Amino acid sequence: MALNVSPAPAARLTTTGRLMRSARREPGLVLSLVLLLLLLLVALFPQLFTPVSPLDVAIDQAMLPPSPEHWFGTDDVGRDVFARVIHGTRVTLSICAGSLLISALVGGAVGLVSGYFGGWFDQVLGRIVDVLLSFPPIILGMIITGVLGPHVGNLILALSIVYMPVFFRIARAGALGEVGKTYVEAARSVGIRERTILRRHVTRNVMPLLLTQYIILFPMILQIQAALGFLGLGVQPPTPDWGAILEQGKDYILFAPWMSVFPGLAILVAALALMLLGRAVQKRMDQR
Amino acid sequence: MGSYLLKRLAASLLTALLASILVFLLVRMVPGDVVAQMMGQAGGENAAAALREFFGLDQPIYMQYLAWITHVLQGDLGVSWTRGIPVATMVGQAFLVTLEIALLTLFIATVIGVPLGILAGIYENRPLDTAIQSFNIIGLSAPVFWVGLMLLVGVSATFSWSPPLRFVTPDRSLADNLAILALPIASLGLLQAAAYSQFVRQNVVSAMSQEYVRTAIAKGVPVRGIFFKHILRNVMIPIITFMGLILIQILGGTVIIESLFALPGLGRLLLAAIETRDYPVLQGALLVVVVAAMVVNLLVDLTYRLIDPRVRVS
Repeated sequence: MALNVSPAPAARLTTTGRLMRSARREPGLVLSLVLLLLLLLVALFPQLFTPVSPLDVAIDQAMLPPSPEHWFGTDDVGRDVFARVIHGTRVTLSICAGSLLISALVGGAVGLVSGYFGGWFDQVLGRIVDVLLSFPPIILGMIITGVLGPHVGNLILALSIVYMPVFFRIARAGALGEVGKTYVEAARSVGIRERTILRRHVTRNVMPLLLTQYIILFPMILQIQAALGFLGLGVQPPTPDWGAILEQGKDYILFAPWMSVFPGLAILVAALALMLLGRAVQKRMDQR
Repeated sequence: MGSYLLKRLAASLLTALLASILVFLLVRMVPGDVVAQMMGQAGGENAAAALREFFGLDQPIYMQYLAWITHVLQGDLGVSWTRGIPVATMVGQAFLVTLEIALLTLFIATVIGVPLGILAGIYENRPLDTAIQSFNIIGLSAPVFWVGLMLLVGVSATFSWSPPLRFVTPDRSLADNLAILALPIASLGLLQAAAYSQFVRQNVVSAMSQEYVRTAIAKGVPVRGIFFKHILRNVMIPIITFMGLILIQILGGTVIIESLFALPGLGRLLLAAIETRDYPVLQGALLVVVVAAMVVNLLVDLTYRLIDPRVRVS
């Protein structure tokens, strides 16, 4: 039997080997990625997971407890709760992802410009952001959706305003930190225009901060989206949305708790996966 | 300290004033005003115009704002358009309910969260830490209203008990009041305890890796001494700062939990005022929420400066 005493040096580890090693070191990250992959699959191809339509009403099958035919039971009008939760994945997660993206793009861009150029523009915006941040996020979301009326467009608008100030602050602080650096001075001295420096160099260096923030805020915006749905201010029935399913279930909580248990678990699992990812990413950023 | 306090107060007042403008504008974005709601489909143009004049809705928006803010600054929040009661009374009653929930929740969150966080930090990466961290992360991921629903189901299935439906103030009957608030506070408190514990753990872990702690260990200071003298003292400051953050979080969470358990707090008041387009109530309640959050922030800042001499210098 040949004895192989020299272990491969770290740099020569295969990709799989390296993956396995970091998987052992960060079980939370692995769990998160597995769950996120599953959620992505469910969101993209709900038909793979259930042939049942989330909208099919069958009054004679109302409020049936979980069974082999209806894994998560049925709701008050006999719709399959499993199908509703599965089809709700795409609705809920895409609203959250989209709103947060708008938040990051608008808040980030304005913050970059504000921090880089400064001046009265920066002062005024700073004040507005202070004002927005003085509202608890959920209340801000509630007021905007409540005032404009429950509609998906209004929900997305409300959700994207809620965290815009956070992205603004991070981008602004990032740009402020970069302005004084030598590379900016160097770029200026060779006559590169300010706009180009901001777009090509500063933005690129601030990007990782914004991306990290996006991941960290995702589970939080999910909570707010669900809460608004639960208050009846979010996605309206019959469209399946996790928060909205909970809203419909709450009146039957003592008779048909399964209507509420499973959509809530879906929110919990998604938030958990996102939060674990956020923690892993944050750890990497801190190490840098 | 005095000049700092003045500066800080002035800044808060300015923010509050700007927030009041935002509140006013937000409220006026509501499609359809109270008059349209009151008259429904029926009713003549003249009657509607008269009503609008009565509510001051025929004035330009900045005039409406000026009239409102002048009264607010004199302590008059106006009268509810739908119920005819002074807004200050309505908001005051609702605020007391919300405040009671918030303070009790803060108490629960602190009593559970801080010890858990300290334990997890001291036993970093051991099984106890893993268990506490799992609790933390699940607590942070669970939607608060869902936890409330699950507690309701759990409690009613196990003890065949469900909370009374009508709210009772603590001065009428403390026992009934607490019976009604038990589940909402438990659900909010558990989740905030998770947030608190997570935060305290991080601070304990970073305090333990400090040079002075290592030096103390090296020179043979007993563990208990290290903990109380070096770790706890340094962790106290962030613990107190975080209390303010938690309180603001609770303020937001209460709004949802109130609607679930039918508690007559600020959240329910806000939702009802949106539905009926009762502008004065909506404006008053929102303003109180914003000012409350601001006061908490201010208090945290001041405590921070009082207990940490290093901050005062800078």
